[in-house]
Amino acid sequence: MRFNEKEMISLSRQPSEKTAELGMRGPKKGDVVKKRLVKLVVNFLFYFRTDEEEPQGALLLEQCRVEREDRQVFSVAFLDEGERKYLFECDSEEQCLEWMESIIQASYEVMRKNLIFYRTEIHRLTGKDPLEQYGIEDETRFQVTSGLPLIPKDN
Amino acid sequence: MPSPCYQEVFDNRTLHFTLVLHCRCAERPCYFVFTNSVSSCSYGNSVVEMKIDGKILAHFQLCNSPVDKEGYLYKKGERNTSYQKRWFVLKANLLFYKERPNDSDVAGVIILEGCSVQLCESEEQFAFSLVWSGELGLRTYKFAAEDQPSQESWIRAVLVANHGYITVLVMDLAKQYKEARKAVSGYPSQQTCVGPNMEKTNHSLTWLKTGASTFLQYPGSGIGARHCSSTNQMLKAPPISSTSANKRSPNLWPKRNANVAPINGPAPPQGDWSVIGSFSELHEDFGKEVKELIAAWSRRGKEDVQEEDLIDFG
Repeated sequence: MRFNEKEMISLSRQPSEKTAELGMRGPKKGDVVKKRLVKLVVNFLFYFRTDEEEPQGALLLEQCRVEREDRQVFSVAFLDEGERKYLFECDSEEQCLEWMESIIQASYEVMRKNLIFYRTEIHRLTGKDPLEQYGIEDETRFQVTSGLPLIPKDN
Repeated sequence: MPSPCYQEVFDNRTLHFTLVLHCRCAERPCYFVFTNSVSSCSYGNSVVEMKIDGKILAHFQLCNSPVDKEGYLYKKGERNTSYQKRWFVLKANLLFYKERPNDSDVAGVIILEGCSVQLCESEEQFAFSLVWSGELGLRTYKFAAEDQPSQESWIRAVLVANHGYITVLVMDLAKQYKEARKAVSGYPSQQTCVGPNMEKTNHSLTWLKTGASTFLQYPGSGIGARHCSSTNQMLKAPPISSTSANKRSPNLWPKRNANVAPINGPAPPQGDWSVIGSFSELHEDFGKEVKELIAAWSRRGKEDVQEEDLIDFG
């Protein structure tokens, strides 16, 4: 799949508060843990080889499951059965938890769900649709019925 | 590091001379390609620059997450300069494209971060472009829609697709929600606190306000330093306080599923901020600008009526 690579490289250079050297292991059998500079920008996780300016790669942080694997280790799994799994080793439990939270909250779809929740609740509590004041109440992007359940569920 | 070796390559397909630099670093050979065309960027096998996990992208395109817009657009090719009809699927901040709607294979994706939307100077009608500027050189994707409503609809959709937009919108609604709950429970609405995160948040909102008017530009207007600085601001991640407002589950290693909304409501964004006024103005600006630009452009088009060849999309 082609992608706008130069623009992604430019994106990876933007300042990010979530940047750290972590141990990273790829999803394939035989992949080993390697030290990488990991950087969270919008809903992408970029990773750089030490001292390289251009990122080695990027992961789209959508439709993923973030799990704690060990005290200082978390994983991010993709695809239907979670079979494509990346592992990240942190320096501390605190760092591990912070990264897990940041990765989850970076997801566009998580934000959309939050937005729809707030929109619904604010309407219920106040009788007003909060998007009306901005004139975006009809944007398909923010529709309550865009394939999402109104009552949040938990697995 | 061993000294690199060079190889000159002439591609008789693109008529480009390419200088290929082979360099063996510790793990594997890597190749850097310099071509004589600033705007080109090779995707071929001879270049290993940045990988993107294509399986994740392909899965996201196919999965049942919301489609924000889909339809046919004509896209100007990167090497071949004719316009090609493609089926576009906009999901979140990603614009996927393929030849036909039912193709399982996705030809490509454009990540909609850091770009401005412009109406273009073009022989095609209903054209618009996505423009990036930056240190890696100017890059433009040109599109043409089938009619004016489609053009306007696509421009609007792409304008609000970026991650920063929904981030700020959610922060705003989170605050409104908090206030609504307080009001309902009978406590007077507290004055918004000026906490340590306030400055950063106002700063990020200020860029949105000034940045909004750089999103839509008249053709020929400079995308100069001003745009670059607002682009850089736009891509700054929202501040994340290290003192978490969320309590950790008592389970040792809880599973957290990024796809599932929490039972009691979403985790509130950290920090406290007052954002309502500026966001409201932002949206008024957006709406007005889109309408004005398109109206101005149609008027201009009518004045310059010429007999034009039909576009050959073959």
